[in-house]
Amino acid sequence: MSLTSVKEYFTPGGKKEALGLLEKYGDSALIVAGGSFVHGLDARDLLYGIEVLIDIQNLGLNEITSDSAGLSIGAMVTFTELQQLNEVQGSAALGAVRDALKYPPVQIRNVATVGGNIASACPYFDLPTAIMSLDGVVQAQGPDGSREIALQAFFSGLFQNALEASEFITGLYLPRMPSRSSSAFIKLETNANDLAIVNVAVRVTLDESGSCQEARVVVGGGVAETPVRALASENLLQGERISDELLQRAGVAAQTDLQPMSDHRASAAYRSAMAKTLTERALQRAVARLD
Amino acid sequence: MNKSVALEINGEIRELAVEPSKTLLQVLRDEMSLIGTKRGCDSGGCGCCTVHVDGKAVYSCMVFASSLHDRKVTTIEGLSRGGELDPLQTAFIEEGAVQCGYCTCGMIMTAKEFLATEEQPDEEQIRHAIAGNLCRCTGYSKIVEAIKTADVNR
Repeated sequence: MSLTSVKEYFTPGGKKEALGLLEKYGDSALIVAGGSFVHGLDARDLLYGIEVLIDIQNLGLNEITSDSAGLSIGAMVTFTELQQLNEVQGSAALGAVRDALKYPPVQIRNVATVGGNIASACPYFDLPTAIMSLDGVVQAQGPDGSREIALQAFFSGLFQNALEASEFITGLYLPRMPSRSSSAFIKLETNANDLAIVNVAVRVTLDESGSCQEARVVVGGGVAETPVRALASENLLQGERISDELLQRAGVAAQTDLQPMSDHRASAAYRSAMAKTLTERALQRAVARLD
Repeated sequence: MNKSVALEINGEIRELAVEPSKTLLQVLRDEMSLIGTKRGCDSGGCGCCTVHVDGKAVYSCMVFASSLHDRKVTTIEGLSRGGELDPLQTAFIEEGAVQCGYCTCGMIMTAKEFLATEEQPDEEQIRHAIAGNLCRCTGYSKIVEAIKTADVNR
């Protein structure tokens, strides 16, 4: 990591102080949580003009709270801490989060944070795909107060997010899903340390008769500039009785909402073909979790 | 401007004036001469630079030294006690789990945290645990064997 233009590293002791620093330094400041992807941004020439790092570890953003409405996850919560949460380990509804956190090596899980992972808006990351299938909401703080941004609106382009220069992420909110909800995530990767070629997260809510009340199919990993909802696939599942044949058709339909990239990891055609297969498999896994 | 950081490294409290962009890896190797921690890819892909921060394995090339005020860092140099090697170090020697040796320190640091949580892991668990550490010599069999046989309760 070079970052030779960085002149100051701040560790503010509260939100007010952090906001003051952001206001003072504006576009030349970067908010840092775990810091594990800063080199990744640097390697992609995305830190041009950054002279100040603002580390938010002392802002009290490392709590997870759970109530009947949902789960609030502080921006500084690490992958390891999230993974150890009983609900993440046990519930079918949070299966996609559990699955996504199994891929990165321990050295990443111990450092990478929920807030930093989301803020990076990296199209190849895993957790954003998983939490988009759970209708995740980003909580942001600015000089005029806090606001909530649905994850889908938060990712506004390749490595771009909807935050103002004066705002930063304080946490993520995952609304509690209805009973008989289940989610799953699958990543295709070349090795344990690589970014995704394709990743897929799905969530289904079934009624007593086994019909699909609500579905989310989200595909990420370079199939577009951001993780995307595969609406054709969701619509196909909606209201239908789950069967192997339906899940297969949902996989085929998932390809229609993608504009995959071709790069050194995979061709667009390969990404598209894998998106189909992984969607079908993720749906099978999610449905199996309700048995 | 340099940042003043007080942290514990291998049991010793150190007060450092850290350049804002420096990683823990740079500080350990270039300023403290703790060269057991290796620089491999310098981008969180190989595991050679693995050390512990508060007992947890991290890639030291991805952690800003400035973020470590009041934290505890342990490197491979901090594993032995009173001149006696850590059981994992002994196991690596006894199993011959070292070829060129460049990945060894990182492997041991990763295994150290893993064995603190899993007492009798099977081979699959061990291989998953060291997934973030590459051995370019591809000598994984003996590394896995060493982790399996390390008498960590000794």
